[in-house]
Amino acid sequence: MIIKSLVSSIAIACAVFGAAIPAAHAAECSGTIRVLAQPRDGLTLLEQYKDEFTKLSGGADFQIDYLNENDRRAKTKADASTIGKYNVYYIDEANVALFASSGWVAPLLDYYPKDYDYADFDPGRQKVATYDGKVWFAPLTGGGDLMVYRKDLLEAAGIQPPKTLDEYVAAVEKLNQPDKGIYGTALRGQRGSGANVWRWMPFFKGFGGSWFDGKTPAFDSEAAVKATETYLRIFKSSAPGSQTGGWDEAVGAFTSGQVAMLIESTPLVGMALDKKSSQVADKIGYLPPPTPLTGGGYGHGLAIGTKANADDAAKQCAGLFIGWATSKENEQRRLDEGQFSELNRTSVMTSDKFAELYGPDLGQALADTGKVTAVNFWQSPQWPDLGDRWGIILEELITGTRTDVKEGLDELDGFAKDLVARSQ
Amino acid sequence: MKAKHILPAVFVTPAMAILAVLALVPTVYAIVISFQDRELSRPDGQFIGLVNYLSLFSDRRFINAIQVSLTWEVLTVGLTLLIAIGLGILLFECATPKTRNILSLLFLVPVILPRVSAAFVWKFAFHPLYGIITYPYKAITGQPLDLLSNPLTALATVALVDVWQWGLFFSVIVLKLLETLPPQPFEAARLDHARTWEVYAYVALPMLKAPLISLAFVKMIESLRAFDLIYVMTRGGPGISTETLDMYAFSQGFIESGRISYASSMAVLMMIATSVAFTFLWKRARI
Repeated sequence: MIIKSLVSSIAIACAVFGAAIPAAHAAECSGTIRVLAQPRDGLTLLEQYKDEFTKLSGGADFQIDYLNENDRRAKTKADASTIGKYNVYYIDEANVALFASSGWVAPLLDYYPKDYDYADFDPGRQKVATYDGKVWFAPLTGGGDLMVYRKDLLEAAGIQPPKTLDEYVAAVEKLNQPDKGIYGTALRGQRGSGANVWRWMPFFKGFGGSWFDGKTPAFDSEAAVKATETYLRIFKSSAPGSQTGGWDEAVGAFTSGQVAMLIESTPLVGMALDKKSSQVADKIGYLPPPTPLTGGGYGHGLAIGTKANADDAAKQCAGLFIGWATSKENEQRRLDEGQFSELNRTSVMTSDKFAELYGPDLGQALADTGKVTAVNFWQSPQWPDLGDRWGIILEELITGTRTDVKEGLDELDGFAKDLVARSQ
Repeated sequence: MKAKHILPAVFVTPAMAILAVLALVPTVYAIVISFQDRELSRPDGQFIGLVNYLSLFSDRRFINAIQVSLTWEVLTVGLTLLIAIGLGILLFECATPKTRNILSLLFLVPVILPRVSAAFVWKFAFHPLYGIITYPYKAITGQPLDLLSNPLTALATVALVDVWQWGLFFSVIVLKLLETLPPQPFEAARLDHARTWEVYAYVALPMLKAPLISLAFVKMIESLRAFDLIYVMTRGGPGISTETLDMYAFSQGFIESGRISYASSMAVLMMIATSVAFTFLWKRARI
């Protein structure tokens, strides 16, 4: 309550000058803008320039509280639905529909200063930040998928980088040599709509699956069975630890040199190319995912909370913070620091500096994968609920506590029907 | 005389008032919303009677969570007491007073560590590719050992960490309890040619019955609050094989569904079940 009144009352002047913010960035915000986020190098870097924001905003400060991804999701949901003490929430493609339809966040473009040029963001990221025709967050990270492979291992085995899923499966199985400490791939087995389900969805969509037909569940199909069976088959060549692991385990296994190839979200490339953290920096190649797989389009970013920002003035200040945090200037700083996964703006990713740092091949691969990137999940407030439930069933299938794929899908079908009924 | 009656009330009232605010209000609120259909995304809710409670009994995850919670209680309480008594006796019998003091200090370290930190350290130690615990197995057999991904071993592996934290701590308590016992019964037993194990089984431990039962109760309550340890190490997986009741309730309330009424009905059932079970056990124990 104190924070609410602090931000809103001190920001009264913003109401007066609100309309002028986009043009001149001259604001009269003060107090502390509280942000709930998950750890990102880009946000940590931002904290070094607090004085710049204070000057820009006319006196406001900001404080970022960090929680890891799953905890951040739980905490933002709990906070936004109850006391709402945060002015800015870090949200993502999986929960944007829930936050928007529940009225927990405000339409971003109503308060995002025009000078900061929202249209410059990568179109794919803009797409996942949009729900019900309105934009809800400004991207901090995002992208699609890339197939990343060890050139040395493929050459030694006489394998060409796969272009189709059949070639990919055959290559993974051939390259899987546990006795030599090399595993064919690393998938995500850990339950969760943003974990194992995220990696499974390109197979499901690639085989022609769809989640719903209107309000009727349509996923209990041949496409889902085939996708799951293929996923489980590839899992037999996946690195140990990945059966209950997520992004961290998959990326860790690859960058430590124990995995031949994998399909992962695009930030993997930046991490694999970073010699400080990768043992395979000089040995990797990258291509779009093999056909018919779709890329998993995703985006995380900052949104304006409605409860802590009770009036327009406070929302303007939160919008100003988000505009500044995601500005071209700050993104350029991230590029200078080599924070590949924190880049979202077309102008930065097509810059000479980007080409100089990462080479022309990566730019081309990103452009190519953009063509197959899709929104694979069900864009609904109920998505986290449905996706997490499928995540549990999928983890049971991966770890062998369940063996019947169809039975698992039938169970999910019943759950989905109940979910739809509850929401009406 | 009147002042004698008023004074205790004066001292007790502020504490009771704070307790009422901190414990009673959320408890009553949880009971009330457990009869509603409230979700985080919908601030309004309607009373739906016993629907949430009835739904629980056809929910396979809830049934599984009861089984996992019971297994967890038996495993962690049993092993902790076993290790505590075994180690305590071993220290009392074999170690010099100086060695006992040094070891006691070392045995206190695990329980002082924040639970989440301990969980992260052990999770990494059990990692099949980089873990120090699994490394010897991999070196000998050439095969990775993935204990946390195996439904048969995951719960026991997490329980091992819990026992490491509390078993060593309790062994120090048992040692200190043994040191407080009078020496005469021990001498009398030995004069009657009792063997060492008989001295402890028939003399020392029966004398320590009351504090040992208290320790068991403390551990039972502590084991019910092992959410952080399990959450960090397995997140309830593989599948739902380590998903305890509190974890499932939290999952339904805040991670997956936002079904706070449904989650509250689980919390209320847990509260009733533990109150009944603890009262029954306490009376049966007859200290």
